[in-house]
Amino acid sequence: MVKALLYIFGFLIAGELIRYIFNIPIAGNIIGMLLIFIALRLKIIKLEDVKPASDKLIKYLALFFIPYGVGLMVYFNLIQPFWLPITVAVIVSSVITLYVTAIIMEKFGK
Amino acid sequence: MKEIFQLPVFGVFITLAAFVVATQIKKKWNYILFNPVLLAINFIIIFLLVFNVNFEDYNNGGKFLSFFLGPAVVALGVFFYEKYAEVKQNLKPFLIAVTAGGVSGILSVVFILILFKVPDFIVQSLAAKSVTAPIAIEITKLVGGVPEITASIVIAVGIFGNAFGPLILRVLGIKNKIAIGTSLGTAAHAIGTARAFEEGKLPGVYSGLAMCLNGIITALLTPYILDLFLLF
Repeated sequence: MVKALLYIFGFLIAGELIRYIFNIPIAGNIIGMLLIFIALRLKIIKLEDVKPASDKLIKYLALFFIPYGVGLMVYFNLIQPFWLPITVAVIVSSVITLYVTAIIMEKFGK
Repeated sequence: MKEIFQLPVFGVFITLAAFVVATQIKKKWNYILFNPVLLAINFIIIFLLVFNVNFEDYNNGGKFLSFFLGPAVVALGVFFYEKYAEVKQNLKPFLIAVTAGGVSGILSVVFILILFKVPDFIVQSLAAKSVTAPIAIEITKLVGGVPEITASIVIAVGIFGNAFGPLILRVLGIKNKIAIGTSLGTAAHAIGTARAFEEGKLPGVYSGLAMCLNGIITALLTPYILDLFLLF
């Protein structure tokens, strides 16, 4: 478990380093996610080496973003006047995403 | 009492407690609005308001939990590696479908918000609304939005997709279960994926992979799309 965590944090810090050095507008953890995928594909690391930690982290993903959700209480008054455009934009855009993805997959998928 | 609320252990304790209670409620009454995260957030907000606790005091502990979003995103890369063999035969249409859906999602939400002339910080906070919260939060931080707004909208989008996604797709004439799964993950991240698994294991896997892939696509493109739109 500790070794698996070490790998996960290792890739996370590698992602942050790459972001820092090359000054690219992509979050370090997303670069870390790409790096760990590539490392697994190229068999630089083994799935069993990271799976104990990654399974647990994914299992409790929802718990980790609760504090951000609670933070809405600070900003509620700030976005409250715009509830209508926000609702319209979010619903219309979600329906577009659902349909565009599904129709392409249905037409061209097996 | 204020000193107790300022201790990190308070924020950690109340978050864990709210999450456990919310999960039990969801288990007992399986109703879509009883999403554990949504319930837990509401419980905590109500508690903080009733006992007059600042968000900053709560977050002394809360940030210990949200810290793990970083490594959790890296863990999604492992999940992607594990499952991607299952979509291999459909890889090309899958990549195209998720990319097209993800990009049209960013463009449409940004376009509609700008049409309504909402302030820039809201556009910046909502551009990544379709992707899983940890990735969306990082994108928002990077483009100058408010991560707390993003987190709440992302959860709302997930619940919308979970509750109405399959119905909307069937009304629009989509029958293929894999197509339904892929679009749920693209539009409504993990909460949509939970619904995709109810449609079947394979739609669920497609949904989970679509969630990861759209997270990457949205992370790569959002800064540039916003630069383009907010320039004018």
